[in-house]
Amino acid sequence: MTEPAATQELTEDYLERLARVQPRDLPDDLDLFYEDTAKRGIRLNKAAYSLKDEHQRELFHRDEAEWMEQFGLTDRERELVRTRDWIGLWRAGMSIYVMVKLSGVTNTPLPKIGQQMRESG
Amino acid sequence: MARVLGGIGASHAPSMEHVYDAGDEVRASEEWQPLFGPFKQVSEWLEELRPDRLVVIYNDHMDQFFLDAYPTFALGVADEYPVADEGFGQRPFPPLPGDSALGWHIARSLVADEFDPTICQELEVDHGVISPLPMVDFAEGESEWRIPIVPLAVNVILHPLPTPRRCFKLGNALRRAILSYPEDLGIVVVGTGGLSHQLTGPRFGQVREEWDREFMRLLAHEPERLCDYTHEELIKLGGTESVEVVNWLAMRGALTSDVEPVVEAYYPHKIMGYGLQALAVAA
Repeated sequence: MTEPAATQELTEDYLERLARVQPRDLPDDLDLFYEDTAKRGIRLNKAAYSLKDEHQRELFHRDEAEWMEQFGLTDRERELVRTRDWIGLWRAGMSIYVMVKLSGVTNTPLPKIGQQMRESG
Repeated sequence: MARVLGGIGASHAPSMEHVYDAGDEVRASEEWQPLFGPFKQVSEWLEELRPDRLVVIYNDHMDQFFLDAYPTFALGVADEYPVADEGFGQRPFPPLPGDSALGWHIARSLVADEFDPTICQELEVDHGVISPLPMVDFAEGESEWRIPIVPLAVNVILHPLPTPRRCFKLGNALRRAILSYPEDLGIVVVGTGGLSHQLTGPRFGQVREEWDREFMRLLAHEPERLCDYTHEELIKLGGTESVEVVNWLAMRGALTSDVEPVVEAYYPHKIMGYGLQALAVAA
């Protein structure tokens, strides 16, 4: 039960500000990187983020499976990386900003990712 | 005392780096002249203004900060800022010179104003800084940066993001920090990012020219109105990644209420609405 005092403190102004911080009414074709995505994608994002380091890029080229081994990826996530399934990676929570690093190491031009993205609708 | 001499709003994008690095011929090509021509004008304007420092409000793209601990605002207090390897090797630029004393002063002043940034003694800057900066601040002949910078990074990646109003107020606070700095320095504030672009999902590549032009008009003349937008509205208008425009709003907050756009360019091309605006303040 909420104490009466608390409801007084939670002014309309505050509640409106709270509601405005989190987009809740986006159409399906516009996405957001937030709580759900951040939690879901943490392993894949760590993996792709590592490619900032040239030693990680070398390892990726030498032995992609061993490179993936470092990040505790699930079987499904490994499959998405192996098959260069950009839409699948995006849906699994990979941020576009680290996806760009994975696109670099796999020599995938951004327009090719874009084409997959467009066809995803 | 230090002074705010003016502001620059500029898109940032890897594509701009590729064009710059390809050299004069590509920059002056029919394809890129609509953007790089105006950048040259901004560079000439800066030559006249002769600022001693640039404060660059930008966002990192997971090249320095990561999702393990993402700072809402992060301020550089270093004497130099190396160029980040974004996954393709470093671009061939020397580290950007900083100004540690000014950085620490800004940190204290922001905290006094109840803005509490993550304080960075080491910070690698990515294309959020160095895709537009060479066009306005790099002496190619000498291969040297001309003007020391203080970088200020804003979280536009991991929601919840600081609101547009908060970013404008951050600019107000930055202005007080500059005005209270005892050294006689002329400072130009730069905000980078945007304008419309969408890099994910079925709307990949969508550019919204009408909104971008309206944004630049509002930024110059009615910035308070931009403070009323929510991120949700900005995303619907300009795309998921277009929320970077809050960096422009922070820059605008550091200027006087009356400004005059001395250079203004908009170039919708491929997957980006490229914007560029140089704002002069009354002397």
